[in-house]
Amino acid sequence: MTTHPELAVIARYAGGDGLDDATVWSVEVHLETCADCRARLAGSAEASTRVLLQRVADGLERGIAAGPAPARRARRWSAPHRRWLVWALLPWLTMTVAVLACAAALESLWPSLPSLVLLLAPVAPLPGVAVAWSRRSDPAWELIAGTPASGVVMLLRRTAGVLAVVVPVLALAGAGAGVSLALALAPCLAFAAGSIALGAFVGVRRAAVGLAGLWLFAVVAPSLMAVHLPVVLRPGSAGGWVLLTVALAGVAATRAGNFRRLSSRN
Amino acid sequence: MRRGLDAFDEEELVRRTARGDRRAFDEFYRRTSPWLAVRLRRRCADDDVVADVLQETYLAVWRAAGGFAGSAVAGSAVGWLWTIAANRLVDAFRRRARHARLPQAALVEPAMPAAEDEVLAGRVGQELERALLELPPELRQVLRAMVLDGLTVRETSLLLSVPEGTVKSRARRARIALREALS
Repeated sequence: MTTHPELAVIARYAGGDGLDDATVWSVEVHLETCADCRARLAGSAEASTRVLLQRVADGLERGIAAGPAPARRARRWSAPHRRWLVWALLPWLTMTVAVLACAAALESLWPSLPSLVLLLAPVAPLPGVAVAWSRRSDPAWELIAGTPASGVVMLLRRTAGVLAVVVPVLALAGAGAGVSLALALAPCLAFAAGSIALGAFVGVRRAAVGLAGLWLFAVVAPSLMAVHLPVVLRPGSAGGWVLLTVALAGVAATRAGNFRRLSSRN
Repeated sequence: MRRGLDAFDEEELVRRTARGDRRAFDEFYRRTSPWLAVRLRRRCADDDVVADVLQETYLAVWRAAGGFAGSAVAGSAVGWLWTIAANRLVDAFRRRARHARLPQAALVEPAMPAAEDEVLAGRVGQELERALLELPPELRQVLRAMVLDGLTVRETSLLLSVPEGTVKSRARRARIALREALS
């Protein structure tokens, strides 16, 4: 602690005149650490400063009356869990699980239909992936977009969270329906990777919606009408899906820089 | 009850503010606002801007006191207050940078040392003080913003309305001059 400046020096500091910089600086450094000298400064404040402070106090009174009460201390666990999961994902994941359960139920009731679980497996993770990195679903997107750990890392983490829910459900539904596990899971991973790779160019939400629409109209609808599984879901095509997944993941990796911020198309 | 609040230091007042204690907040305002007002007025000559910055700063204190009380490091509440105020001041300059130049508080030219200053002189160190006073005013402004107010290069450039490169080169020149004074 430095020695206290004289009252006259403090008065001249408060008045804003006459002191050279070296003195002003040492007074300021001292005032920051010394409550007594701050009290003495308050005693020698000018009339114009008092008027100013009264004005500010009135404004504060209105601001406090209008605004929220002091925020509670932030909970410690809230930061890590947001990296992996947003609550907005929950309804989407619930819906995905419900749709897969319906598909499995329908399959056991009408065995003559082509396997609905297999047909829906590729698009199962897409709703969750679309919501994982989107302005509309995450109220904190502005904050998130500004943090160092956002971007592709955040998207991949949340996609991993979605897959961690969807893959076991898919495996269960597939096992219940008696379909090949590889054929259920490989297209699912390929479409998740595809929506991220395409998302680097047009936005993840658009990419997911586009891919899901394409799959439903080009593959699911015709095969339901023709009542047989399409070529791409026959046994033996799993290897092709795995290769496609690896290729799309590679594309996504080279385009990681496109996820630096959440643009309006996300 | 006022006697009760008198016993607390500023840190305790902020902690009580975080629990929604309005009287603790008023006491904190009463104790710190004259100091903050004087310090801000020495950096910005426009009283309306100073009033805005003060009001935003104390509203932030009221609403975010939990952020200070909850931090693991036991820092100084006054230092925390100044950090908020300095950032708000830079924000005010940034907001108005496009519309109008805000008047900088004029730097006082070195006058003849008064009797009181002689007493202080022993503290800073004669050579260093002389070197500081011999620095051109624009170098001293940069030093004040970066050393005393703890602002970054970018914030300093906004506050002083000069490009970042200029801030850096002035800071370097000031450092060299002070080093020479100490050697």
